Amino acid sequence: MSRVIEVICIRCPKGCKLRVEVDNKEISVTGHGCPLGESYGRDEALNPKRMVMSTVRIIGAKYPRLPVRTSEPVPKDKIKDVIDALRGIVVSAPVKRGQVIVRNVANLGVDVISERDMERV
Amino acid sequence: MRDAVVIGGGPSGLAAAIGLREKGLDVLLIEREEELGGILNQCIHDGFGTKILKKALSGPEFAGYLMEKALSLGVEAITETYVKSVEDRGEYKEIITISPKGIEEIRARAIVYALGARERTPFEIKIGGTRPAGVYTAGMVQRLLNLYGILPGKRVLIVGGGDVGMIVARHLYLEGAESILVVFPEEFFAGLPRNVQQCILDFGIPYRPRTTVKEIVGRDRVKGAILARVDERWNPIPGTEEFYPCDTIVFSVGLIPYASNLEEIGARIDPRTRGPEVNEFFETTVRGTFAVGNLVQIFDYVDDAVETAYIASEGVRKYLEDERRLERPVRISPGELVGPIAPQRVEWDDSRDVIVFFRPRIEAENVKIQVKSPNGKILKEYFRRYVRPSTMERIEIPRDILEGLDEVIVDVSRH
Repeated sequence: MSRVIEVICIRCPKGCKLRVEVDNKEISVTGHGCPLGESYGRDEALNPKRMVMSTVRIIGAKYPRLPVRTSEPVPKDKIKDVIDALRGIVVSAPVKRGQVIVRNVANLGVDVISERDMERV
Repeated sequence: MRDAVVIGGGPSGLAAAIGLREKGLDVLLIEREEELGGILNQCIHDGFGTKILKKALSGPEFAGYLMEKALSLGVEAITETYVKSVEDRGEYKEIITISPKGIEEIRARAIVYALGARERTPFEIKIGGTRPAGVYTAGMVQRLLNLYGILPGKRVLIVGGGDVGMIVARHLYLEGAESILVVFPEEFFAGLPRNVQQCILDFGIPYRPRTTVKEIVGRDRVKGAILARVDERWNPIPGTEEFYPCDTIVFSVGLIPYASNLEEIGARIDPRTRGPEVNEFFETTVRGTFAVGNLVQIFDYVDDAVETAYIASEGVRKYLEDERRLERPVRISPGELVGPIAPQRVEWDDSRDVIVFFRPRIEAENVKIQVKSPNGKILKEYFRRYVRPSTMERIEIPRDILEGLDEVIVDVSRH
């Protein structure tokens, strides 16, 4: 089975438009300007991952929202799952930066952690 | 009497205070808001610190890193304090502040301004139509969403294809906006490829290049906008107008250094950067008064803004110790293909390389950045595989090539 993905290379400000063809185990990248682009195209075809950032409700803090992110990048097609899993989560101040807010979010094997300290007020 | 006061507790101000404390100086950091960290607190996306820390932190994490460092060094900071005025009394600067405690006077031998930038408003870019509710700047949307959890609208038009516009588009998309359209006058997004891919293309958010908003429509609340195609000079093409229905319009049309306070005390403002003119240690044209970060010019990376603050802290030390200045300063001028550039002059008798930041005026591959004497002699060249206006360049100019000159020109050469 073959598939084609189009992706913009993020390895330098030039932003080459890559076309990656995956045919069984054969991967061919075109449109890249340098070897960095080729390896980026391969990664994006095989296992694209993204860090997910959002906020959750917090009680007893200066602001009503606490910024959070995944502890590791997650597969790109699971971004929405993470966002959905955070809906309805409520935490209480105080919270420390790096503190786990949701363990093993959406069964992805990564945690959602706090991006900052939030004091109780 | 303090050695130095830093005005502004964002990343650049924190870094300046850290640098000053590391040199053993007595420094007070003054912040207008309730907490330190500045704009980083609402920038919950990652990508901060990639140059300094070699990892991509979120805004609040990078702010946390700076705050912890400042705290561990014993930086004294006061918040909810607004600087009303600054007077130069020769030996010292007199700073009048207003805070919940009342009006106070602080004396310091040197001042570092780290006021950052403000957002350009829609009304600075000639937008016609009405002025209903539902028109925001991107920074305000970020603040509402990320600090207060408020989605400002459901059907959103975003004007501007820079990094901030793209990041806000992704947040709005993930947090529940029903429809989003991004329009911008350029041929393609002006921001980083990383954001084009990860904020726009990843989610299939629609966008229209070479498009502008001619008019805002709606009486009490935004009902939509009149969009128009633009030509290469960004002028609307007659007959291409089209009504686009939406309830919210977000403008992300650039940042401008917050330089009015410095202008008031007599610092010269550079019309290109719109920030104060500075020397190689980021001292303004008012001696003992320094400016750092986005107040000087708009940086792409917080890491670069932080670097200017560290350099300035060394400048403050030199000023306090009354170190030698050059008899004749050397001007750093932009060549034909260079836009905003800072520092604008070299003024101190020092041996360290001069770090210069600028934006090229062209997009081109395989170019040379050249430092030239006024008669065209090439003094130093730097190869770049790719340059473009929306990516700031940083070069280190060796001191020895400046000897005997009163001006050098930084330019970009296609060959």
